[in-house]
Amino acid sequence: MSLPHDFDASDAAVRSKVLLVDDDEVTLLLTAEALRERGFELVEAASGEQLLAMLDDWTPDIVVLDAMMPGLDGFATCQALRALAGFEYMPVLMLTGLDDEASINRAYQVGATDFLVKSTQWSLLAGRLRNLLRSSRTRLELERSKSKLARAQDLARMGSFDWRNAGGPAAAASGRSGASFGAASGASLVLAPEALRVFGLGPQEVVTLRRLVRMVPMPERRGMTRLLAEVQTQSTVLAIDVPVEMPDGRQRIVHIEAEPEFNEHGHPVGYTGIVQDVTDRRVAEDRIRHLANFDALTGLPNRRQLIWRTERALDHARRLGHQAAMLLIDLDRFKVINDTLGHAAGDELLIEVARRLRGCVRHSDQVMDAALETAGVRSHRSLEAVGRLGGDEFIALLPEVADEADAERVSQRILECMREPVWVCGQECFVTASVGISMYPVDGQSVADLMRNADVAMYSVKNTGRNNSAVYSPMLAGRGREKLELESALHKAIERNELVLHYQPKIDVRSARMVGAEALMRWQRGDTLVPPNDFIPLAEETGLIVPLSEWALREAARQAKIWSVNFGFADSIAVNLPNRMFERSDLVETIHQAVSAFGVPHRAIQLEITESGLMKDLQNVIPSLHRLTEIGVEISIDDFGTGYSSLAYLTTLPISELKIDRSFVRDLGITPQSSAVVTAIIALARSLGLRVIAEGVENLRQMEVLHRLGCTVMQGFLFSKAIPPDKLEEWLQLTVLPRKEPWLVQAGADRPDLVLTTGGRQT
Amino acid sequence: MLDAQALANLAQLDPTGASKLLSRVLTAYRGSLARLLPQLVAARAPVDLGTLKLVTHTLKSSSASIGAVDLSALCGAAELALREDRLDGLPLILDDLLIEAARVDAAVLQLLSTR
Repeated sequence: MSLPHDFDASDAAVRSKVLLVDDDEVTLLLTAEALRERGFELVEAASGEQLLAMLDDWTPDIVVLDAMMPGLDGFATCQALRALAGFEYMPVLMLTGLDDEASINRAYQVGATDFLVKSTQWSLLAGRLRNLLRSSRTRLELERSKSKLARAQDLARMGSFDWRNAGGPAAAASGRSGASFGAASGASLVLAPEALRVFGLGPQEVVTLRRLVRMVPMPERRGMTRLLAEVQTQSTVLAIDVPVEMPDGRQRIVHIEAEPEFNEHGHPVGYTGIVQDVTDRRVAEDRIRHLANFDALTGLPNRRQLIWRTERALDHARRLGHQAAMLLIDLDRFKVINDTLGHAAGDELLIEVARRLRGCVRHSDQVMDAALETAGVRSHRSLEAVGRLGGDEFIALLPEVADEADAERVSQRILECMREPVWVCGQECFVTASVGISMYPVDGQSVADLMRNADVAMYSVKNTGRNNSAVYSPMLAGRGREKLELESALHKAIERNELVLHYQPKIDVRSARMVGAEALMRWQRGDTLVPPNDFIPLAEETGLIVPLSEWALREAARQAKIWSVNFGFADSIAVNLPNRMFERSDLVETIHQAVSAFGVPHRAIQLEITESGLMKDLQNVIPSLHRLTEIGVEISIDDFGTGYSSLAYLTTLPISELKIDRSFVRDLGITPQSSAVVTAIIALARSLGLRVIAEGVENLRQMEVLHRLGCTVMQGFLFSKAIPPDKLEEWLQLTVLPRKEPWLVQAGADRPDLVLTTGGRQT
Repeated sequence: MLDAQALANLAQLDPTGASKLLSRVLTAYRGSLARLLPQLVAARAPVDLGTLKLVTHTLKSSSASIGAVDLSALCGAAELALREDRLDGLPLILDDLLIEAARVDAAVLQLLSTR
């Protein structure tokens, strides 16, 4: 530390002010002259009374006092001087002719700094004065430095302490006032006033070590006591943060840091260190930690925190050999709420859902590493929580469950708590959830495995109607993997030309003629032919149905051209389109391009839409139907009779054909109800001026009944199943023309005049 | 009567004589004698130990300062007797002290007049 003054050099430069007091004029004169000669600045006083009066408005650097004086003698003067404010540490040199021990002792008792026997050896006096002045300045600097330190410590809410082992010298922390007390062990602890303030105690307050320890609340107190003992036994550095309850009830966090001290023999004698109030820092740190680990919207643990907790929970489960469960909770149709009511409403909903979910488990917000270690074997229970993975996905972590049923009970509680309507933006919303459960250790050993499998289980719930829960099973995963593979393969199917259209002829039994065909999509995947039911739903789900449908339209147009060239085909090929295709504004353009590319008329393509698909989205589909009809593309309603058609709409819709659903056809001649339905459909079609066609005709009996009821156009296995286009041509050549089949005989029977042909074939 | 070495030491405090230190000191000393000796005489009867102690103590050191070695020694002897409560021999010492003081005063006066 560099001091502001170089004392030795400045002794001459800075003339110290000496106040000399002696009743003897001769001594006063001589001493003053001798000291002036040696560079001091002198002021003389003839008595103690005069000296005290002078100090009212002036301060010397040092006082030289004659001991024996009439009136106030030197001793009494010194005592009076010390009682004056600001003169407690003024250096006072007592001069006397008396060299007896009693006088020396008396001089020190009244507060003299030093004592010198009078003599005419002035150099001795001057030297003594310089020494006293030097130590006085050093002392002053020390005081200033100390008060600076105290102020700095005060600002930093910090204070020093000393802790001496039993038997060691009780050291003062700073030399200033402070609380000093012996502990029960005989050790001593001294806290500087600043340190006392850290604990909310006054500088004069009497405290005991026990009292300080008791300011630490219970769970932490035990840990701290143990750590203190440990540190002391091993003489290691102490660094610990402890919560402290102040006398006024405030909760603060105090950092204690101390280093061991050793005596000359290397034996530990105690500790010296500081205490600091680190509450603000800890609050800031906690805030940062909170931001990093908790979801800002719901306040729940976030993905990072969930993963951390799950890892801990799995560690415990592994060690203690019990099961744990992870529940993945995904809200059903949350997107609809977000899209229709806005994101603010969506957020509001998530907050409420988070609140409810929290109530379904023993949710603990805070988990401390230390707490985990000290709370014993059941500590992993504090890991239990609901967290938000992101979006509308939540996770409930159950660190210990007895079995699957335990986890399922929680999932039922979750589904149950969703049943109450949620008020968002002044509106009542109903929200359900799909919950997937994975169990440790059977469904996965790692966090990633458990999350993935909970996800698989959750998706299986979504696929089977939502609002339910399911426990993971490898079967689900198998299905999931299969589906994933299928999806990626389907993406490539179009470019690899693996998709094919098979055609089922439509037959007019009156004329025994083919009057059109329905195109049905097949997927030639390697050696296997994948039926539509196995990939169309997936295509619909993934959106692949759009490119698939576009391809089907082009392919049908191409086939119409080929057939028209090969055998004069002039009817239409029906292509099945999902209702979402009808919502596309470019559907008309797509069809136009498809037929133009192959030079066939628009009517070469007929579109089939299912009754349920049509009715589900009627308003969006109607404009397309009008435009399609305008350009000559006919619309057929598939599976008619199975949906709930609005008859009022039916009269105004631009459609050309109703297709009687195969379920009615199947029961024809077996149940009277089915023929009643078929009769009604035929009557309806006739009165609306629509054609009617029956599908799924498999035997002659069905054909006869339909015919009798007035439906003459049919398709079904009786005639032909859906077959590749070249096979269809073959079929026409080998079956229809030779009129070998019984249905041909029957069909033509009542109209022998009609020529049964393949249509307008030109040879 | 007056120690030459002591006087030389005094003169060294004011080597140029600019501040007339020696004159001032000797004048002050004569002032002290004029003030203290009557106090001493008065304190002998009735006996005033406090005044006797103070006067002998003060005269001891100031006399030593100007080189009045014998007078200083007599003051010291008186002071010691007073401190040790040996009052029997004290009147004799005080008589000698007063005689010596008169001689020193005359010598100082002589010294002052020659300067």
